[in-house]
This record gives sequence, structure tokens and C-alpha cells, in this order.
Amino acid sequence: MRNSIWFLKGLRNGKKTEKFPRADPKDPPLWPSRLVGSGTSKCPTNAIEDGKWNAGKCISCRLCMPEYKPTGDQSNYKITGSVPGILSRSFYIYPVDSGTCGACNTELLSILAPQYDASRVNIFFTNTPRHADALLLMGVYTEGMDQVISKAYEAMPDPKLIIALGTCAVSGGIIGKSPHLSKDALIEIAGCPPSPYTILEALVRAKEGKR
Amino acid sequence: MQYYKTTRGGGRYIGQTRSFSVYSDSITPPIKVEKISTEIIPGELVFNYGPSTGGLTESVRIALTTPGEIIRAVKVDPSYKLRRLKVVGLNLIDAFLQIERINGYHSSSYQAAFIKAAEDALLVEKSRGLDEELILQMELERIRSHLNVLERLCEPAGFGVPFHQIAQMREEVSRLISAIFGHRYFFGIHTLPHSELRIPAGVTEITKGIERRFALLFESLQDSKIFVNRLQGNGKIQKIWLVGPAARAAGLQYDARIDSPSIDYSKYSFEPFIDDGKDAFARFLVRGNEIFSSFAIVNQILSKGKPETADLREIRGTGIGASRVESPQGDLFCYLSVDDGRVKSIEFCAPSVSNIIAFEQSMQGNIFTDFHFNWESFGIWISEAGVEIE
Repeated sequence: MRNSIWFLKGLRNGKKTEKFPRADPKDPPLWPSRLVGSGTSKCPTNAIEDGKWNAGKCISCRLCMPEYKPTGDQSNYKITGSVPGILSRSFYIYPVDSGTCGACNTELLSILAPQYDASRVNIFFTNTPRHADALLLMGVYTEGMDQVISKAYEAMPDPKLIIALGTCAVSGGIIGKSPHLSKDALIEIAGCPPSPYTILEALVRAKEGKR
Repeated sequence: MQYYKTTRGGGRYIGQTRSFSVYSDSITPPIKVEKISTEIIPGELVFNYGPSTGGLTESVRIALTTPGEIIRAVKVDPSYKLRRLKVVGLNLIDAFLQIERINGYHSSSYQAAFIKAAEDALLVEKSRGLDEELILQMELERIRSHLNVLERLCEPAGFGVPFHQIAQMREEVSRLISAIFGHRYFFGIHTLPHSELRIPAGVTEITKGIERRFALLFESLQDSKIFVNRLQGNGKIQKIWLVGPAARAAGLQYDARIDSPSIDYSKYSFEPFIDDGKDAFARFLVRGNEIFSSFAIVNQILSKGKPETADLREIRGTGIGASRVESPQGDLFCYLSVDDGRVKSIEFCAPSVSNIIAFEQSMQGNIFTDFHFNWESFGIWISEAGVEIE
């Protein structure tokens, strides 16, 4: 009996949620993060071309070191259009795995961990596209999931938007090409895989209508 | 190949690759695997779960054949998200970038299997420092992976508090991995010519803190009748071909850390935790107890300072090699043929393939409400089952 009072155990653990994104991230990873550097460097995905680094193609392989170095800056995302204002109150996401290695899936789920607690900023996952505001695509294009993704998007009510999460979904990365609906993504969250900090910040900024 | 023979099957059966049947000390031409009949009997229906729905971490279709309540047959189809990796012809570094992404959540197991197969193929002398570094990676990965399975077992039980507390610990382990290796999933750590490892100050206090909190939580879960009742008697299976925690939960003392020469674990005094319950609860117990033994190994390595890393740029030549390592879900076998420093042929035998068959067989005779607990108890990763290497 002593051990089954989970409610008290939860209270005893105390508050673990961090202030991010209102404050700086507590433990940002170096890889992936924004890179700084100059010149040409070997890059298996052509993320470095003409001395410019493209976050959407970077797989954090580190082959560009020492010409390029990670900064720890987690803002590896791009919001390319206006998110409908009605979604600012609550934001329901339907994630679909098109062809991942599993890392993006677990980093996405990590935003539910107490350190991030996405639900406190009204970001939720839904089990059906019928209740979704956003279709979140992860992984590379695969034949088997192509029709599944299209049907999920058709089943979503308006207004709706697409999020591409991870380098595979944004550009195809090193494995293949991106899912066909990724080209219409309003939010591109780069990284292989993107950290929970990057995912949460991108979703919060988009929900608030910022770019 | 120094360790694997290509004669008759010897040792325990591990699984199949495209071209071989894999045993613990030999590889042979493939044998035929008996398939479960999924023919529908009048009065039965097939309930499709997936390929994309809530409750599934990855895309997979699970077809449950049932007359109403009892599950008569299950068929798991991992091919929806089938990825095709083009590795043949690449140099070892470029190949490595794809290999570590076969199963990103267990990338260090794939890294270790690949590095050890390359060592075997090209007769590279073993480095004790490298083994130590790979063990550190793999044991941290095992802790996080087992925490993930336990977290997923709490979710369908509606146990919100332990679910979130384990999620918190899993995140702490991810941050520890990031602090040491620079990446939360170990990507890219062996592409550099020099070690980039950093051992943060007070690291053993961090690991001991997580271990202490996990011990209290693990004990509480075992004391919870509501939780235990969902797992006991659910998904019973005992077959000699089981691997990893599923085998050890069926009373079989199978562990590649003990019976594979690929990585030397002899310096670390641990014995695999064995339970003979054969069910989802036994698999829960095995994983929980393995978290403690993995923490003990991690602490032993971390207390000594920074181990070495492998440099794949130094590996050149021609040859055929094989390796077998204990990934968090069981034996992971790699066959590698290298021609002048480039991959000529490569095949993996992934533990999730064996675990999918074990899940299908163990689900027969169970009821619908058992499904999620049993599925999660095997810790299956579709990414390593639904992949082709060309």
C-alpha cells in the first residue's frame, strides 16, 4: 500500500520542468546545433556549399571539422509562412513516420518528458488525423507510407499545416529523398535528429505566429 | 574470419540474414523458417492496427486474427517504412554514416558490430581502449533503451507518474550521452581521427543519482498489483531461438557479452539476470535488473577517465569478417566483406526480426487488452526490421 500511492510519489519528486523556451536551454547538445566556420569542407550531403552551411541538409557527421564547429545554438528551424491564428490556443499534432531510423521518433516523444513538458504550452499529440492541426512528417520517402501520408493529410480538417521534422524529412539526408508532402511544409525542423529543445522552440514560435 | 566458421551450424541459433543462417559460432546457408498460418476461419475477423496510429512509435501494420476476444494469430508487417540503404561500394567512413542510422536508437550497437566486423575482416589488432569505449557506449545505450521499454509499459497501464518519472531519467541519460559523446545518439563519433570524448565533472554522481531513483521506482512498480497483473501470464514464450532479454526472461542464459569474442567484457564482473517467468513481467524484470548491471559497468569505466575512440580512416585492405554484439534487444550479427577499403558485401541479423516472430507466437491465445503490454515488452524497433541494404 505504501508503495502504490503514485500521486504522492509524483509530488515528492518536485517540479522538474525547465523554463525553456522562455529561458536558455539548460543542457543543449553540441551536435546537432548551428555550425559556424568558413571555406570548403568535405560534406557527404552537400550541406556546405560555397562556404555556406545549410542546416536542412546537415547530418551531424562531424566530417567538416575543424573548418566548421558547432555553437550549441538550437535554433535549427525555419518557419516559412503564417500559421493560422486559431491554432495559437492549442496545437494538436499527428506524427507520421515515413521512414525513420527511430531517433526522430524518440526525440519527438521526449518533448513530453518533465524537463520539457510540451502540454504546458498547449502542444499535444493526437491519435487520429481527424483531430489534428498539423501533420508532422519524419523520415525519408518510402513507397509503403506515401499513400498513408496522403490519406492522413486528406482526413485532416482545415485549417491544417505540415511540419517536416529531421534532416531526412527536410532534405532526404544521407539515406534517400524526403516524403513528397514535405515540400509543402510550413515548418522545417532540421537536425539528425533535432533535439527536443529545437522541436519545442520551433513549435512554440510557430504557434505564436512568429517566423 | 577469425571467429566464425562456415561449416555446419554450431552453437545456438541467432537468426537469418539475406544469405545465411547465423549461429553463435558459425554461419551456414539459410534454412527454411516455418511461417504461422494466417488463414481466416469462418466466424473470425482480421483487426488491422497501423501502419500509422496513436500508440505506435514507428510505422508498422499489425493484423490480429480473432473470433472476437481471443487472438488466434498475429502478423506483423514491417515493410511499410522499408528503407533501402546503398552501402556497397562505399569506403568505410561513408558506409558507417548509413550503418549507424539503421536503428538510430541503438546506433552504438550497430557501430560496434560494424567496427568489430571490419577489424575481423582486415585482421586489425584489437585495442583494449577501443573495446572500453564501445562498452561505455553500448551500456549507456542499454540503460536508455531499457528505460524506454519500461516507460512504454507504464503508458498503456495508465501509470502517469512512473511514466513521466522514467521519461525524466531517460532524458537525463540522453543528456549524459550528449555531454560525453557530443551527440545524444552517438552519431559521428567514429568519423574523427581523434577522440572528442569529454568526461564531465561529477559524472559518477549523476549516474548514481539516476540509479538510486530508478531503484525506488522499480521496486514500487513490482509492488503494484495493478501493474503486475497486466504483465504476468501475458505473452508467454520459451523457444531456443529467442535472443536478448526475451531469452533471458525464458530461463536461457544467452548473452553475447558472455558468449561472443567480438568485444571483451571479461574485465567487468557481471552475470546476466535470468528469470524463468517467460512472460511480459519476466521481460520487465530482466530489463530493470540489467539497468543496474549496466550502471555498474559504466561507473567502472567512467571512474578511470577517458577511453579511446576508433579511427576508421586507419582501416584499409581486403578481407571477410563477422561480429556479434549484444544490443539492448539481443544478438546483433554483422557480416562484412571489404575489398580494398570499400564495402563489397554487408549483411546484418537484427534482434527485432527474431523478437517480431516471438511476439507473433506469444500473442496467440491472449486477449486484445494484453496486446499493448506484450508488444512493448519485446522492445521491437521496426527501423532495423524494415530495412534493405543494397
